[in-house]
Amino acid sequence: MLHCLNAPGNAAGNCTDMSVLERQRARTKWQEEQLIHQPPQPCYFEGNDQFNNGFSMLNQGQDFLNLMNSEMGHVVKVDPGLDNNGWQEFGQFGGEVLGLGSSGFVTGSGFELNYGISRTVSCPEDVAAAAAVEETAATETTQRESVSPEKMTSLVGRESFKKRKADKNQSLKAVAGEESREKRIKGCNEEDESKITEEYSNNSKNTTHNNNIKRETSADTSKDNSKVSEVQKPDYIHVRARRGQATDSHSLAERVRREKISERMKYLQDLVPGCNKITGKAGMLDEIINYVQSLQRQVEFLSMKLAAVNPSLDFNIDNFFAKEVFPGSTSNFPIGVQSEITNPAYLQFNPLQQLASCSGLEMGINNPDMALRRTISAPLSIPDTFLDSSCFDQIQTSSGWDGNLQNIYGMEFLQGRLTSFPGQQFTGSNEASNLKMEM
Amino acid sequence: MCNPSGNQLDNVSRRNSARMLKQEFLKKWIMGLQICSASKKEMSILERKKAIKLSADLAMASTKNGTTNWSLALISNASKENDNKTLVDQMLGNHHSEKISTKRPSIVSIFRNKRVATCRGKKILKKRGGIRRAKKMASSATSIAKRLVKKRTQVLKRLVPGGEYMDELNLMEETLDYILSLRAQVDVMRHFANATPKFES
Repeated sequence: MLHCLNAPGNAAGNCTDMSVLERQRARTKWQEEQLIHQPPQPCYFEGNDQFNNGFSMLNQGQDFLNLMNSEMGHVVKVDPGLDNNGWQEFGQFGGEVLGLGSSGFVTGSGFELNYGISRTVSCPEDVAAAAAVEETAATETTQRESVSPEKMTSLVGRESFKKRKADKNQSLKAVAGEESREKRIKGCNEEDESKITEEYSNNSKNTTHNNNIKRETSADTSKDNSKVSEVQKPDYIHVRARRGQATDSHSLAERVRREKISERMKYLQDLVPGCNKITGKAGMLDEIINYVQSLQRQVEFLSMKLAAVNPSLDFNIDNFFAKEVFPGSTSNFPIGVQSEITNPAYLQFNPLQQLASCSGLEMGINNPDMALRRTISAPLSIPDTFLDSSCFDQIQTSSGWDGNLQNIYGMEFLQGRLTSFPGQQFTGSNEASNLKMEM
Repeated sequence: MCNPSGNQLDNVSRRNSARMLKQEFLKKWIMGLQICSASKKEMSILERKKAIKLSADLAMASTKNGTTNWSLALISNASKENDNKTLVDQMLGNHHSEKISTKRPSIVSIFRNKRVATCRGKKILKKRGGIRRAKKMASSATSIAKRLVKKRTQVLKRLVPGGEYMDELNLMEETLDYILSLRAQVDVMRHFANATPKFES
């Protein structure tokens, strides 16, 4: 899942002994480096030596940025084959460097470096998005900044989390076991954190601040990921207890339940229009309630309207379908009762073929409901139809049409497709057809 | 989920399924209307409206084939009234009503379980009451928020058919499904209503 397609990922995976936080820190460093590299001119590193130097210095907690700055503008090729002897001595950073070395540095530019990182980092869903961003950036060098540090951090956080999870997967299945492990990791995280802050105290305050912020964001994303990964892996329940949270089975179950609810709420948020700007459960529930109510009222209203316009209750549905206007829809509802009506209707419809060919475009593209409406209703304005067609799907053009109907319309379909009607002409013909139908 | 093309496929299939839903709904609705019109000749406008709405609701519920609780609840609510019972039976067929009758006890049992669970929950709450109260004063904002959420959940439960018997998680799922179905229903009905006046004029 996490381990990516290319060698760098594996290499990074080999250094399992390094702690998560350190990896994360390394990445944060890399981001900073990225920030420096992002200015338009592509920058290269000179020789392995300086590069290695850079990392040993990084290891010692000294300011790496200055060095990188000084090294900008040099050209190199880093041979990935050198990695084994040269780079392993840098312990925890070996994996990182390797990853970046083979994918990023060989190709050279600072931007590629970027790409390398995200490649090692991205989990399946992100591949597309990240790649898309990168593609655009590749075509326009001016857009380099578009891969913002925030994005990078989030990706980094993601990966580190995934790694942590992968480690976990090997050793534990039981919840309790996970808890203890979680705590251990937490503990080591905290240690690392203190270490890091000490280290950074040497540096300028600014850097420290930045790093902390980034760390926070990455931590957040990893939190989010915990939920996501829970969805992805339904075979066992993965619960994380953070510090100060209860670990007994009841509260764990409760937490799982709550997370599920919030997940459902997320789906609802997507579903209900105007709900995605609202934060907070109460507001969202409000919005959902309003939406459901409005839908119910619409149903009420529409049934009232239908009752009002149809003086005889049965709606004259049969009449509807008997009229020439509805042949499309009749064949669409394969109701046994109406099957005999279809044929006469279709016969009646035949004389209208000329007109049908005019509206054939619409019929061909939109689904039968649309076509149905198109043929019948004169007061439709063009924007309205556009709206409708957008809300209907245009993918399965003809599948809704049953056998014989398709034959009838086959020619018109082609005609409609070949000659793309301009809007005005279309309305004109439509009106004509309506006129004819009313006659 | 893994790749963009998969996502697209997902989208397409979802749209297709929405379309299928609409078609099936329309089919069933028209069938219901025919049954209605066959059973009663003279109707006032209100009666007509009621019949239309009822058949639309039933059609919507029957497209779900009894897989969701809200549709079952809707059908069983509708069949409570005697006049509607024949319509329901005719619309859904006999096997459907059997299904409902077999399913209904399960709903009831869910309801019972739910009750027990809430009782237990209250007990626990009571036990902790002393501690909670002290905290309540300090964090009244969270308790207010909780109360707001609870109130709205109650309202939502009233809106979704059969929602009274659902717990929160179930309610969310059912609401999702219900909204989707309602949307399809409204869409079809609107098209129908837009199509109609043209004929009468």
